[in-house]
Formats: sequence, structure tokens, C-alpha cells
Amino acid sequence: MLRLLRTILRAGRATEPGPSADPSLVLPSHAGRLRGSLQVRLVDAGSCNGCEAEFAAAFGPVYDAERFGVRLVASPRHADALVVTGPVTRNMAVPLAKTWEATPGPKLVIALGDCAKDCGVFAGGHGVHGSVSDVVPVDVEIPGCPPSPDVIVAAMRRVAGG
Amino acid sequence: MNTTEAAFIAMAVAASAAVAAAIVLPARSRVVWVGVFTALSATAGGVASLAVLVGGDSFVTVIPDVFPLGGVRLEFDALSALFTFGTALVAVPAAVYGIGYSGQGPSSRPAQAAWPVLVWSVMMVPAAGNAIGLIALWELMALSSTVLVLAEHHHNAEARRAGQWYVAMTHLSLLAIALALFILVHQTGGESFAAMRAGAANVGPVAASTVFLLALVGFGVKAGVVPLHVWLPRAHPEAPSHVSALMSGAMVKLGVYGLLRVGWDLLDGGPLWWGAVVLTVGLISAMFGILHALVASDLKRLLAYSTTENVGLIFVGVGAAGMFAASDNRPLAAVALAAALLHVLNHGAFKGLLFLGAGSVLTATGTRNLDHMGGLGRRMPVTAATFAIGGMALAALPPLNGFVSEWLLLQSLVHSLPSEAASVAVAMPVAVAVVALTGGLAAAAFVKAFGSAFLAMPRSAEAEAAHESPFTMRTGMIALAGVCIALALLPTLLANPLERAIAPATGIADGAPISTNGVYVHLAGIQAGLSPLMLTLGLLIGVVAVFAVVRRSRARSTVRDIPPWGCGRTLQTSRMEYTATSFAEPLQRVFDDVLHPEIDVVVDHHTESRHYVESIRYHSETRDGIENRLYEPLLAVARRWGDRARSVQNGSIHRYLTYSLVVTVVVLLVSQ
Repeated sequence: MLRLLRTILRAGRATEPGPSADPSLVLPSHAGRLRGSLQVRLVDAGSCNGCEAEFAAAFGPVYDAERFGVRLVASPRHADALVVTGPVTRNMAVPLAKTWEATPGPKLVIALGDCAKDCGVFAGGHGVHGSVSDVVPVDVEIPGCPPSPDVIVAAMRRVAGG
Repeated sequence: MNTTEAAFIAMAVAASAAVAAAIVLPARSRVVWVGVFTALSATAGGVASLAVLVGGDSFVTVIPDVFPLGGVRLEFDALSALFTFGTALVAVPAAVYGIGYSGQGPSSRPAQAAWPVLVWSVMMVPAAGNAIGLIALWELMALSSTVLVLAEHHHNAEARRAGQWYVAMTHLSLLAIALALFILVHQTGGESFAAMRAGAANVGPVAASTVFLLALVGFGVKAGVVPLHVWLPRAHPEAPSHVSALMSGAMVKLGVYGLLRVGWDLLDGGPLWWGAVVLTVGLISAMFGILHALVASDLKRLLAYSTTENVGLIFVGVGAAGMFAASDNRPLAAVALAAALLHVLNHGAFKGLLFLGAGSVLTATGTRNLDHMGGLGRRMPVTAATFAIGGMALAALPPLNGFVSEWLLLQSLVHSLPSEAASVAVAMPVAVAVVALTGGLAAAAFVKAFGSAFLAMPRSAEAEAAHESPFTMRTGMIALAGVCIALALLPTLLANPLERAIAPATGIADGAPISTNGVYVHLAGIQAGLSPLMLTLGLLIGVVAVFAVVRRSRARSTVRDIPPWGCGRTLQTSRMEYTATSFAEPLQRVFDDVLHPEIDVVVDHHTESRHYVESIRYHSETRDGIENRLYEPLLAVARRWGDRARSVQNGSIHRYLTYSLVVTVVVLLVSQ
């Protein structure tokens, strides 16, 4: 117990001041109803895990996206937005469609990374079904291979609004 | 001849007719007439007990020279009548149900002849008014129930083992009861209960406590309390289901009856520690029973363990009443005893109903294993609905009957403070905590049983092909569900009968524990009241209101119908469902130290590479800890002594003649 307290004291505060919302991102009209609170379900549709690593970092102690009202949830039933990474592989096409179906409306789909946008380097690959927009309607795209955590946080702040 | 007497004659005549029908008639019509006559006999028992409970009748008679040592005296007071009434409540629907059930299974002559005998003897035991009568009827009940436990032994080896356990334990019970009664007869100088009551003042404290402890063991075996419960989770699952219903709903309660009769009527109560012992036994039984019910995946075994739990709760009420009475808080003692007796009736009704439901599931699917059921709700709607009613009562949820008696029990325990006696002040908060925890675990056990049997998708071909039970079985279940609901809505009608029933237990109580104006229940000496009718009405209005709001909001917004969320799987099969075992697994982990489950995981690898798994076998079993640690060593010792004793009997006639000679000489010397 004491050791834990000492570690906490020694480590101090790791969080850095976060980036402000990215004004260049174009949002669909129903995103305005979020007013500072965004519940996100991450769907890995076949990513190389690069985007996952950066996404996890965005929610880690340094970037801490949660302080801006963005939360990761465990089920699409609880989500306002789906964050989809990677090119959509054949095996994930139906599950992704089902996840979209299971998310209550009004909902947002955020394509994270270049692969989600246009399959990136995997375009035309043998197991690749297509980009995210081939399966579900995409509302917001975050480019980058992979996008860095501050880009992700800036985009999330923009989507969450408030 | 008053009503009670006539009803007693009718009971005996109908039961004899049923036995005759079982012996004479061919299999097809046999089950029908046995069922009809047994139901009539039980109805007569109900009439007799109502005449005493409501009409204030009483009934004493002596049948001389039945046995070489003396006659049988019958004495039917209100305490007896309450237990006989509880039996009749279960026995009539069970007998009707038995017509359909036996038609598909145990229709043999011995099984059919034993069934009316069991019903009659369970109703008659409380009416016994002398030592020899009680012992004879008790043994008749034990023997007839043994025959029924063994009814399916031809194709079920487990039934034979259950029968052995049952015979051994039930005779331990008889031995202890007979000893208790003999000491009592010896000390009081009278053989009838009336004479014992009169002579109770002459019994010394040591003798009285010896009698009480023997009675606790003897009647405790029948009641199935820990650690004497081992026969119960074996015998109840193996007996035909309508018999399990009667055994669990009514027969085990006679243990409570006997303890009350001997401890607090004949001996007129005792010191504080009598109550404390009964309370402790009750608390341990309640916890132990419900924990094992929680992890059992055999439906009838689950219900049997839940019986141990509920008898434990009744013992808690009796024990608390004894402690209150010994510390001179007689109004509170009366409330606790009334709660216990009400729970006797309530548990009989809902546990009977649940066993009938389990039997209906068993005939439809051929299995008692909850892991192989599922999806039966759509296939067997009547069974599912009645089972849900019984299960909600078991979980003590309002507005059902289990709630009323557990609420009364908790009220009496909570209001024990402030108390003068330190032991009462310490024991009661613990009792409240245990009873409350038991209630929560009972709800979990019911959710497990109902959910894994009746909801979701079928997990086996048998469950897939299941269909609803025949008319008589449905009638029996609906009737008992009706009894549960009636007991839940109108316990106020039982206020006067309960007052009469606690009166004979003069060691505990006097006065009226419950006063009522027909709608509202008020407890004597406690600032607490309950109106079951209003509660139900309130709940009903609440449910209707919620439904109305949901319907309105559905009408205003757009509605999508989509399948349940299954983590995006493309394939959803019944293999992905919760089974009863997996549902209970987290709780099994929590209570690991008590339950000691044995878990084996065997992984077979491919011969080419250890990285590829060929098959995984998982085996998990929770054995009864008390059976393992207490009974197995005892049995081992008995076996060793038995082996040693073999050398005494070596087949030589000369040696046997020597034994006879030695014994004769010793007897002659001693008698000098």
C-alpha cells in the first residue's frame, strides 16, 4: 500500500496538455447533438494493429482522451460512434455490418487511418473485401498511417464537440 | 361423530381402496384409480384438518390392542392439523399429477400400492397421540417412501444407492426417536402424550436435555438438516416426481413437527441453549443447502438442496422462537413460530409445485441435467409458467407466498433488539444476515434453474423434441400454482388457524401473534405490518404503468427490429449459450472454500506437434463435503469392524454352540 503511494508520488503527473479540436474536419449534421460526450466502440476490421497501438496511446495516461468526454465502451449497443480501423477483410465484412446494425441511431462511423479510408498498401490484396465505406456509410475520416495520438485526440475532440 | 372423526374414517377407507386398486387392477386403469382414491384420501385429510383449524374441532380416540404392547392413541390438535393440512395441500395435486406421470413410468404394483400408504401415513403421523402410535406410523411412512425411492431401480443403479442411504438414515432417525420417547415414557410414567405432558414436571434437566437432543437427531434426519441431510439430495432426485413433491413438500416437515411436539409441547420448553442449537443448525443448513443448490446441475438435486435450505429457515424460526421464549419475550416468540409454521405451508406448496414441474421436464426430455435442456419455455408453456411462479416463491420475491413468511421471519429476528439476554443479542443479527444472504442466493439459484431449462435455445435433441405434459399433470401443476398465489394474496385468512396451531406448543407461545382486518397484517408486539393484497395491487399497477409508458414511447419513435447482439458472430448456436454450470461458475469461485469443487482439465495434443490441440475434456464436480469428510470415514470404520467380525462367524457349528452356551451362562449369572 505504502509502496503504491510512493510510486504514485514519484511518477507524478504524466498527462500533457491535449491538442485542441481539429477545425478542418468536416462533420455530418447529426454530430452536433453530442455536446461534449462521445461513447466509442472500436472495431478492428483487419488492421495491421498500427492504428490500434496509436489509438490505445490516445487513451493512455499521456494523451488521455477521456478527459475530453470521449469514452471507450464494450458493446456497440452503448456506442454513439464506431471507430473502424484497417481494410475490411473478408472475414470481418459481415461482423462489421452486424456491428453497425447493432449500434443505436443516430450514429457516426469514423474511419481511422489510411487503410480504413482506401485500403492503403493492402488495396487489391487477396483477403481484402474493400474499404470501410464499401461496407458501412462513413461519416468522418482520419488520415495517417498510422495517425499519431494527438491527431486522433484532436479529431475526437472535434467529433465530440462541446 | 363429528366432522373430524368422519373425515379420518374417510381418509383410511379411501387409502385402503387405493391400495386395493393398486393390487387388483391392470396397469392402465390402476394408475387412474390409485390417483383418484389417493386424492380423495388427501382431500379427507384436508377436511379433517380444516375442521380443527377453522372450526375449532378436536379429536381424540384410542384404538386398543393394535400391537402386542398396546393400542394406538390418536390425538388431533391444531398443531397436528396444520401439518396435515400442509400435506393435503401438496398431496391432492400430486395425486392427480401422479395419474399422468405414472402412466409414463412407475406404474408397477408395489410402487402404486406404496403411494397411497405414504400419503396416508404422512397425514397420520401428526395425529399420533402416543409413543407406540408415533413410532408405528413413522416407520410405515419410512417404509412406503423407501419402496417409492426404489420404484425405478430396474433401469437406474443410482436409485439403489439412494435407497441404501435412505434406509440407513431413516432408521437412524427411528432409533433416535424411539430412544427419546422411551426415556420420556420412563421418566413421566405415561405412554400417551397427555400423560407425558402431565408428567413433564418430573423430568430432570439432564433427562429432558437428553430427550431433546435425541429428538433433534431423530427428527433432524427426516427434516434433512445439516449434517444429517445426506440422504435427501440422493433420494429426492431418484423418487418419481410426484413422490419427491410429497417428500420434499410435506414429509420433511414432520421433522419440524416432531421437534416442536417433543421439545416444546411434551417437555414444555427448555433452557435457552435448546433454541440456540436449533437456530444454529437452521442457519448452517440454510447456507449449506442454498450453496449446493447453486452449483447443482441436476434439476431435482437442486430442488432437494433447496429443501435443506428452506427447512433450515423453518428451524431458524423455531430456534429463534425457543430463544425468545426462554428469555421471556413471548409475543415475539409467537411471531417467530407463526412465521416458521407459515413457511411450512408455503414451502410445501412451492416446492411441491417445482418438483412437479421438474417431473414434467423429466418426462418430456428424459434428462434431469440442466446443461442439456434449454428452450423448453416455448415447447412447454404451462410447465414454464407454473415453474416460474414456484421459482419466484422460492426466491422469496413479492408478491408470492415465500416472501410473506420470510418477511415475517425477518421481522421477528430484526425486532429481537434490544434484548436482555446477551446470546440473543449476538445471535439475531447473525441470523438476519444469513437469512438475507440465503434469500439472495436462492434468487440466483432460481434464475439459473429457470433460465437454463426454459429460456434460450435447446441444447440437446431431446430438449428440441420436448412437448407439453398430459392433462392430469398440467392440472396438478396449475392447482399448486393456484395454492401458491392464494397463500400469497390471502395469508390474512390464516391468522386465526396459525394462532390455534401455535397454542399447543405451550413451551413457546401464547396469544395472537398476528392480528388482521382481512387486508392488513399486523404483528403483535412489533411496529410492523404488511398488506400482501395491497402490495400485489401496487406491483400490478406498477407493471401495467411501465408497459403503458413503453408502448406509448414505441408508438412515437421509429422502431427497428434487430436480432440480439452476439458480438458480431456470423454463426450463433446453442453451444454458445450459458449452461447451468457456466452460469453458476462465478459464484462457485466465490464460495470455493466452502464447496471445494473438483475440476479436471485434460488436454490431448496431436502426435505430430504439441502446439496443436486435438481435444480438451473439462470435468467439474462438486461433491457434498459433509458426506466426504464425515460419513465416508465413518463408513470405512464400520466396514473395517465388519471385516474383523467375520472371523467370529466361521461356519463351524461347534463354535456357534459354544457361543450359545457362553451367552446362556452369562445371562444366568447376571440375572442372579
